[in-house]
Amino acid sequence: MSRPPARARFGTTELPKEQHEALLRAKRLEWTSIGSLSVTVLLVFLVLGNSQAMKVAWIEDMLSLLPPIAFLIAGRFIRRQPDREHPYGFHRSIGVAHLVGAVSLLTMGGILVVDSGINLLQAKHPTIGGVHVVGETIWLGWLMIAVLAVTSIAPAILGRKKMEVAAQLHDKVLYADADMNKADWMTASAAIIGILGISVGLWWADAAAALLISVGILHDGVRNLRAAVAGLTDTRARTYDDRAPHPVGQRVEEFLTGLDWVAAAEIRVRDLGHVFHVEAFVVPHEGALPPLGVLQTAREGCRALDWKIHDMVLIPVEELPGQSGHDGEA
Amino acid sequence: MLKSIGRAWAAVPVCIVLLGTGCGISVPADPDGTLDRVRGGVLRVGVTENPGFVELPGDGDPQGTEPELVREFAAVVGAEVTWVEGSERELVEGLKDGELDAAVGGFRDDSPWQQKAGMTRPYGETVDEHGATAKHVLFVPEGENAFLLELDRFLQDRKQG
Repeated sequence: MSRPPARARFGTTELPKEQHEALLRAKRLEWTSIGSLSVTVLLVFLVLGNSQAMKVAWIEDMLSLLPPIAFLIAGRFIRRQPDREHPYGFHRSIGVAHLVGAVSLLTMGGILVVDSGINLLQAKHPTIGGVHVVGETIWLGWLMIAVLAVTSIAPAILGRKKMEVAAQLHDKVLYADADMNKADWMTASAAIIGILGISVGLWWADAAAALLISVGILHDGVRNLRAAVAGLTDTRARTYDDRAPHPVGQRVEEFLTGLDWVAAAEIRVRDLGHVFHVEAFVVPHEGALPPLGVLQTAREGCRALDWKIHDMVLIPVEELPGQSGHDGEA
Repeated sequence: MLKSIGRAWAAVPVCIVLLGTGCGISVPADPDGTLDRVRGGVLRVGVTENPGFVELPGDGDPQGTEPELVREFAAVVGAEVTWVEGSERELVEGLKDGELDAAVGGFRDDSPWQQKAGMTRPYGETVDEHGATAKHVLFVPEGENAFLLELDRFLQDRKQG
């Protein structure tokens, strides 16, 4: 052994071992997703027939390719070092990927809701006939159900695994992707119910199932769009699943106020994608500016709190700016 | 919330199948009961002229390969055929309004009418004057899947037979 292999980096941030491994795992999972989705898209295409629910489920499968592709492309960009033109690095490429994915979901969801709604209103009876399989003519609907059932297994497993990695990496695109994968069985079940409906002569079951799936896609679009816009407009950093404010902000504030030369501290944290950009305002006791070495130690102390504190500026002030004082959100 | 919806959904296929078998419907079923009506009854077939495939002699029954197919199928399901002449548009509308059970006229599987009418699987192929392969189909009412499956099975057996 000459040298241990270099750890993966997010810009200038070298990842801890756990995150480094999580990143490699995430990439493997996303490649696996692309592979399994490609097979799914092909299989579903082969049995597409005249079912609106199948058509919508098929388009959803194709849309599910977007988050893994976005993740892998953004993953290439964020490795780059900051330069003069990009002083904050390339972390925001994750946010851009998230926004693009969200808008596609929203647009497609909207189109499909209208399309399926029109189908339902026109009382279009889905025509599904026979298909010739190994010397036997069977109803294509049974084949559709089989394909839907089989292809819904992989996303369920992959979704669970991605969820774990998303938490370790603090990756919202991966989280959104995992969440959609986990909900994929609902799409498959809705389509299966639609086809079972057709099989007993309920022509509207197909369009109704299609409408339900389309509303699901639209809903995913709205949710992702809100999350992506929140990220790009520098709202308070939240946990990877957006459930709560990220604890790292409070820890930095506590760390700084705990220092004996600090009278008061206030921080602003923005989420750049995986890593945080932290601005800390500190008021020294009796307005006495400590030596530069002490400031440097304080800054390094903050960065040691969490690997996500990637870029940190420490600003000694006479008085706190007070913007982040009030809790805007109820 | 999501989980309870999930559980409720899981019950739906079971209900549908129970409902189906409980009412004694065979699956797939026709929303408008075409196959049940045709079997041992009358098969109303629309015809439009297309040399070779459908020829209308003026007096007597339509001739050509496709009326022949229809007569064979009618024999299988024990139906008596009544013929209705019309343009392609009239036939497609007849299928939609439930006035016809099938239509023939040398139709192809890439016909622009596929948005308005149901089709069987191709029963045969020819090469047209441009050297392109044409796959020939029969038109059926949209969504009458039991009837369509019966017809598809007949066409497949005949192709092999």
